[in-house]
Amino acid sequence: MSTTEKDIASAVDAGGQHDHHEIPWIRKYVFATDHKMIAKQFMFVSLFFLVVGGALAGMMRFQLGFPGQPMPGAGILPDAMMAPTPNGAIMLPEFYNSLVTMHGTIMIFFAIMPLLVGLFGNLLIPLQIGAEDMAFPRLNMASFWLAVPAGMLMLASFAVEGGAAGAGWTSYAPLSTSGEWTGVYLGQQLWLVSLTILGFSSLIGAVNYITTVINLRAPGMTWFRIPLATWSLFVTAVLILLAIPILAGALIMLLFDQTIGTGFFRPEVGGEPLLWQHLFWFFGHPEVYILILPAMGITSEVLSNRARKPIFGYHSMVLALISIGFLGWIVWGHHMFQSGMNPLLGTSFMISTMAIAVPSAIKTFNWLGTLWKADIHFDVPMLHALSFVSMFIIGGLSGIFMASTPVDIYIHDTYFIVAHLHYVLFGGSLFAIFAGITYWFPKMFGRMMNEPLGKVHFVLTFIFYNLVFFPMHNLGLQGMMRRIYDFTQYDFLQPLQPMNQFITLFAFALITTQLLFVFNFFWSIFKGEKAGNNPWKSNTLEWTVPSPPPHGNFAEMPTVFRGPYEYSSPESDDDFLPQTTPPREGPGPSSGVPEPTPTPEGAEA
Amino acid sequence: MTTITADRAPMAGMKVYHLKLGMWVFLLSEVMFFTGLIGSYVILRFAHPEAFGVPGEVLNVPLTAFNTFVLICSSVTMVKAFAAIEQNDQEGLQKWLLATILLGAFFVGVQAWEYTLLASEGFVPMAESYHAIARGAAEGSEVIGGPLYGATFYTMTGFHGAHVSIGVFCLCFTLYRARKGAYTAGNLGGVEIMGLYWHFVDLVWILLFTIVYLI
Amino acid sequence: METGEEHKSPPYMIVFVVLAVLTVAEVLFALLFTGLPKFWMGVGLIFMAVWKAVLVAMYYMHLRFEPKRLWILAASPIPLAIILVVVVIREF
Repeated sequence: MSTTEKDIASAVDAGGQHDHHEIPWIRKYVFATDHKMIAKQFMFVSLFFLVVGGALAGMMRFQLGFPGQPMPGAGILPDAMMAPTPNGAIMLPEFYNSLVTMHGTIMIFFAIMPLLVGLFGNLLIPLQIGAEDMAFPRLNMASFWLAVPAGMLMLASFAVEGGAAGAGWTSYAPLSTSGEWTGVYLGQQLWLVSLTILGFSSLIGAVNYITTVINLRAPGMTWFRIPLATWSLFVTAVLILLAIPILAGALIMLLFDQTIGTGFFRPEVGGEPLLWQHLFWFFGHPEVYILILPAMGITSEVLSNRARKPIFGYHSMVLALISIGFLGWIVWGHHMFQSGMNPLLGTSFMISTMAIAVPSAIKTFNWLGTLWKADIHFDVPMLHALSFVSMFIIGGLSGIFMASTPVDIYIHDTYFIVAHLHYVLFGGSLFAIFAGITYWFPKMFGRMMNEPLGKVHFVLTFIFYNLVFFPMHNLGLQGMMRRIYDFTQYDFLQPLQPMNQFITLFAFALITTQLLFVFNFFWSIFKGEKAGNNPWKSNTLEWTVPSPPPHGNFAEMPTVFRGPYEYSSPESDDDFLPQTTPPREGPGPSSGVPEPTPTPEGAEA
Repeated sequence: MTTITADRAPMAGMKVYHLKLGMWVFLLSEVMFFTGLIGSYVILRFAHPEAFGVPGEVLNVPLTAFNTFVLICSSVTMVKAFAAIEQNDQEGLQKWLLATILLGAFFVGVQAWEYTLLASEGFVPMAESYHAIARGAAEGSEVIGGPLYGATFYTMTGFHGAHVSIGVFCLCFTLYRARKGAYTAGNLGGVEIMGLYWHFVDLVWILLFTIVYLI
Repeated sequence: METGEEHKSPPYMIVFVVLAVLTVAEVLFALLFTGLPKFWMGVGLIFMAVWKAVLVAMYYMHLRFEPKRLWILAASPIPLAIILVVVVIREF
């Protein structure tokens, strides 16, 4: 048919921008279009922001542990942040507001999200589906180079008059609509502009991921042979694609409220502050799943490999991902139970929120099923993945508390929430990021990370992390509110001072422990033990190519014959079966296991 | 080293080529963007009916109806350009692209003119200086609607206008490439995705016109 | 998309005429039938607008001639848009 030929011709023309010449330095390392290099760029930038976010958290913890006391070494900060006294510099309440806001914003938008989506999305999607690169390599580059100025703007807002944004990472109106309330004018606007730019960057990244997964799969890579990491990144990309524009619209309206004086969210001229909350959380709740789904995918990958067992219930894992992705759209109101919302809505949001526990529990039990009677290898990625599962259970269960409206009345906006969100974001996402980085480090740099050092880092992080965040549940139940500059102003909170000090000390220990990871990371890039193509004996396609993979990834088109998790299969003499292994002739010894049908043209399915 | 591009069926999966699929996926996010803006308008109007005017009271419906017609015409010329290149008619492609550019620029021009007219009647987005009066009414007559009316109107139509303007710039680029002979009947992806964007912008206007001006 | 020997070019001009007529009809409906209840006025206008939008998507954006799975993709944000507006409207 003529149409088909035309389409092919134009598509080949559109995709044929690979040059086989020597790539100039600036195109290879700076304005790179190679997905692996962009993944590394995202990794370095967002690890930098992770350090920044950690430093902000450290300052906050100092204020909470030692309220009103001079902070050692803070004299170098400007007087607008730290009030100088004869004994040293004391933190100003306005600066504390900025710290709370920027810690949340930077960690969510500039550290965890680009690590999960920018790093693992770029690194894994083309490699795991057998593509030579993303569908639009230059758009991919644009995505990174939009994220960088967004991050710079965000950091620059600390230096402007009035300081950085101080209305919380949720920027609730009317607090955020005018500098009168927070004392922050330009900083709040830079915050809005920066997030709008970052949103656009995520958006074109998502367009790229979705097109790539749909159109660039290798022959035989049917939907139900896609590794779970890529599946989760695909669902995440869909969430980004549809949620970020809502945020962008809301951010723009808020920016107009601040700059030209429109009245969308300003009640004094007839606006609706509640509309901001709805728009923000209509984006915000899918965002929560943007931050956890890729972590789930990474965990599934590592667990199955290091347990040397097929993932338990692959299909139900995929369906659970999709249903979490869908349910994420109808639960946003559970962030707003205290906003005075319509009780009918409150109840429906409560029910839909609890419904999410079902697919989440399916995933958790499948992970446990994978571990059941498995030959577990306790290496560093596996330890991090196991702690992801356990911390996610704790964070998920405390989530049920908040989901029920009557309980939420009591714990809303307290440290219980802080504990919950850190159990899913730090205990969940960040542990999965550690698992992912250590697991795919050999693929990125061709060398293994140091194992003993990694184990020490893991054990210390795990202990300190729990000592920091678990007591916060208790603080919250005793009524300590989040985002509070000096809780000792309330008599009933003063007995919590020792516990806050305890948390602060271990928070410092937790931050210091991360130096081990930083050292291990850089040391291993240069001095790590050389890794072969497939150090973990994994099945998925990225391990069939050299480490690090060359430009274009695959020397020839891989053909996929089986699912990604056929470990310890009796069909093989070794304990793994790469996806590219053709099925054996005749009935194999594994009579119980149905043979996967070889369908090289199955990519159409 | 050889790349594997050539071995791949380029339309696997969705059975459409990458550029087109990418544009469709991008348009989905645009749908959500306009949902945010138009949805906010619908919600605010439902919440505060007194803050909005009735059709034709403040806004100039006949002028905008004419402008709507212009945009629909530009959609036809765009689709004609696509039909021309399908037949490898280079001259037709350039002619129809040029017509689309002119119509699109005309639409933006009329919109800018409409804005100045409205602003002179006190219909502005700034809440503090909003004092819209009915069309043709004398200075100082009764103020119609409230600040939300101006704010939502300019945000929605402004962002749509920005999309049209971006579309006009992209069309100029497409025309430039067409004049260099970049498109053929076998290679019309660039024209087709340009058309998809343009028709989408037209589609949004069709809904906006009804929701903002007529209801 | 479909042209050449097997398929005639889609009826672009007919669609254009329908779009133009519907636009005129909408304006007349909105400006002349002001006595109608607001609800039915809204329903009628939205119906015509959606009709026009569907025509543009089907013919000018060639959705009619695309694979079914692209239809599903294209329709996917619509439920979310409806959920957002319908739910938040219940607040007021």
